[in-house]
Amino acid sequence: MIAELVQHLVNGLIVGGGYALMGIGLTLIFGIMRVVNFAHGELYMLGAFFLYTLFSLAGLNFFVSSALAVLGVGVVGAVIERLVLRRLRDQPIEIPMLATVALSVIIQNAAILLWDPSPKTIKHVFSPVPFTLGPVHMVWIRVFAGAMAVALIVSSHLLIQRTRIGRAMRATFQDTDMARLTGVDVDRVYMFTFAFGAALAGASGALLGAVFWVYPAMGDLAALKSFAVVIMGGLGNFLGAIVGGLLLGVSESLGAGYVSSGYKDAIGFVLIIILLLWRPQGLFGKKSVPR
Amino acid sequence: MSRRGWAGAGIGGLFLFLPLLGVDDYYLHLLIMAGLFFLLAAGMNLLLAAGQLNLGHTAFFGIGAYASGLLALHFGLTPLLTMPLAAAFTALVGVAVGRLTLKLRGAYFVLVTTGFAEVIRLVATNWMDLTQGPMGLAGVPPFDLGTARWTLQSKRDYYYFMALLAAGTLYLTARLLGSRVGRALAAIRSNEGLAESSGISAYRHTMLAMVVACGLAGVAGAFYAHYITFLSPELFGFHNTVTMAVMVVAGGQGVVLGPAVGALVFTFVPELLRMAAFYRMLLYGVILLLVVMFMPKGLVHYFRLRAGAPIPDAAHDEAMAALGVDDAGGARGGPALAVRDVTVRFGGLAAVEGLSLELGRGEILALIGPNGAGKSTAFNVITGFQPPDRGRVELDGAPITGLPPYRIAERRLVRMFQRTSVFAEARAFDNVLTACHRLSRTSLGQVIAATAAARRDERDLAARARAILDFVGLGAKADVLARNLSCGEQRLLGLAIALGPAPSVLLLDEPAAGLNAVETVGLMRLIADLRARGVSVLLVEHDMKLVMGLCDRIVVLNYGQKIAEGTPAEIQRHPEVIRAYLGSDETLAHA
Repeated sequence: MIAELVQHLVNGLIVGGGYALMGIGLTLIFGIMRVVNFAHGELYMLGAFFLYTLFSLAGLNFFVSSALAVLGVGVVGAVIERLVLRRLRDQPIEIPMLATVALSVIIQNAAILLWDPSPKTIKHVFSPVPFTLGPVHMVWIRVFAGAMAVALIVSSHLLIQRTRIGRAMRATFQDTDMARLTGVDVDRVYMFTFAFGAALAGASGALLGAVFWVYPAMGDLAALKSFAVVIMGGLGNFLGAIVGGLLLGVSESLGAGYVSSGYKDAIGFVLIIILLLWRPQGLFGKKSVPR
Repeated sequence: MSRRGWAGAGIGGLFLFLPLLGVDDYYLHLLIMAGLFFLLAAGMNLLLAAGQLNLGHTAFFGIGAYASGLLALHFGLTPLLTMPLAAAFTALVGVAVGRLTLKLRGAYFVLVTTGFAEVIRLVATNWMDLTQGPMGLAGVPPFDLGTARWTLQSKRDYYYFMALLAAGTLYLTARLLGSRVGRALAAIRSNEGLAESSGISAYRHTMLAMVVACGLAGVAGAFYAHYITFLSPELFGFHNTVTMAVMVVAGGQGVVLGPAVGALVFTFVPELLRMAAFYRMLLYGVILLLVVMFMPKGLVHYFRLRAGAPIPDAAHDEAMAALGVDDAGGARGGPALAVRDVTVRFGGLAAVEGLSLELGRGEILALIGPNGAGKSTAFNVITGFQPPDRGRVELDGAPITGLPPYRIAERRLVRMFQRTSVFAEARAFDNVLTACHRLSRTSLGQVIAATAAARRDERDLAARARAILDFVGLGAKADVLARNLSCGEQRLLGLAIALGPAPSVLLLDEPAAGLNAVETVGLMRLIADLRARGVSVLLVEHDMKLVMGLCDRIVVLNYGQKIAEGTPAEIQRHPEVIRAYLGSDETLAHA
């Protein structure tokens, strides 16, 4: 009974770590660039496919492949920012949003052409034999995924709080014009932010792709879940994305275990509906007073 | 008939005769689907006019389809009956979803509606008893006109049916967007705070747009159910919403014909791409991206189909006279506006503490004090933008504390904002016309039916808007976009907007900020003129020449508290005021 509960919690936290990574990327991109990235799921998918290509097809070392996959998605993000989003910066919010929708169609269909639509598994380097730790059964790849998620979250936090580019990001987040006046290269911050957010999504895809399946449409649900995560945590709220991600992972795991696995993927949005009933202006929403 | 009228009649006639010209069934089907998506995109366009992008719109399409299909299958009702039932049910779902989500703005609204569609898709997939899940619902009866004998069979039948629905939708959305409703939606998108303070309820108007959009989606869904006769959870797929959104944006958002053009183009483009076989969806994505990047204003934009309403010639006397206050509340006596013991705290800091003041009828009262004294906060409390922690506000003796800004405007208390606040993308004339919203005397039904009364009402409002522009001296700039006006002109336009709802009490927050000396004198004359017409004025101002020269009385705030009250002469000699302002014994007269 308790053992089962703990098992669900641990599984939920590991998946939730992946959601949190997705959510942080999305929330940073929105907070700084005011862009809702509808291609986030496809960047997640690319992370998994880059890992699959480098490791399973090209036979590179698993860890090297993972690192390269994440970097590769970051580069894709930088290119997207430079070629598409930068040109749409002065448009109303729905225009760059629809551009990312178009990008998601392009990337997903390119993936279908490149890698075919059938699901693939990544035969990673960890032993598939489960081990037990007290009441919990676990496989090493999940432990690895969970540990990497934590490491990436912590390093993202340090990057934002302790580095020069992080400070520039925070300044841009608060007031873009002021940041520009004080000498921040806002173009560079935007490009870095989108690349960084993309890389986090790619990392999440590579980690969860190694645990589950890899296929071109895998980003659809992942994107929706990261939307749920950032709504719960507040768009632009770093800590909120982590809390939201873990909360969603755990509630899905518990929901699938105790309620219904068919509705597992709806749980995030059911939570949001409850939230909205409770706080109509959103969890972290504030009413602004005009002058 | 005008040139545009002829063009419209020509295009309409072409659509009417297309099936008789021996057009292939395949193309008729595509045209039917274009019409279907027009119903959906037109609804989305209404809500987007207020800045709310519903990326879950396909959920309402699917709900309408399943509702009509299930009613017909299980109860054997004729689709003639199930279609309106499905539309009503979908509109009801829209009300429920709107109640939850319309308080959300921008990205939050987009993401929550996206998620809503996904939840509904999961329900349709998993609720096997009702929907037969992923297998889909087969055998939905075709559309008939009450009896099985009159069943729509051929593509041509359905084509004409859809043509009827599309024409109705075109008419409905044209009436809505071309009336005060459309002006209100655009105002909400452009500047929600200003819209609310001009007597426009953002919630009510976005809800109206939501209900109409969902009703149309319900009709479209019901049509689809009986046309295709097979339903699956695929209807709720995100790609459907994307198609609608692309049609709206590529066609031209905010314009009546935008979704129609978008629906036609983006029904045929994917079909043309069939030649590309495997690369079809990839190419489709590329086309979407190019359209969004290089035509963000939409195709219609290039045809200049959007002309503003005609601006009436210089105002006639009647409209000019209507600028005054008939003073209905005056008979009751007592102050026009009373603030009683109001306190507002931000965290531990009291922005306003125990503030009481009274504004007499036809009086000009100034609220002055150093920066941060709480003047703007007091204004926000009075106009309903900031609920007070304690105390009350009375207008003509009736409490207005806690009312939303648009209700307060309806009671004829209107403010002008400190920051220049106009509807930037609209003409000066339309700015003021929008602000006259609350004076419209016609019901929504009359507006849609375009009755004689509704047309007369529009003419009266237009005359009034013109009179106000002339009054503030912007008559010559009536057709200039607000954002192209000079800073001083924008301030005057802000005043004109505030006069739109016919205020009996006017609150001006630093009206002279950004004006040069000549413009300030002109403004003083306008304010004095307004008082002569019976308007009571409360103003915050730093320009002491204006304050001392114009105001009957002055209230001085410092650190959220009233430190003095009296005539200009008394205030200039008041020792505490001098200390607060100058920290020395100099008199204000020299300041």
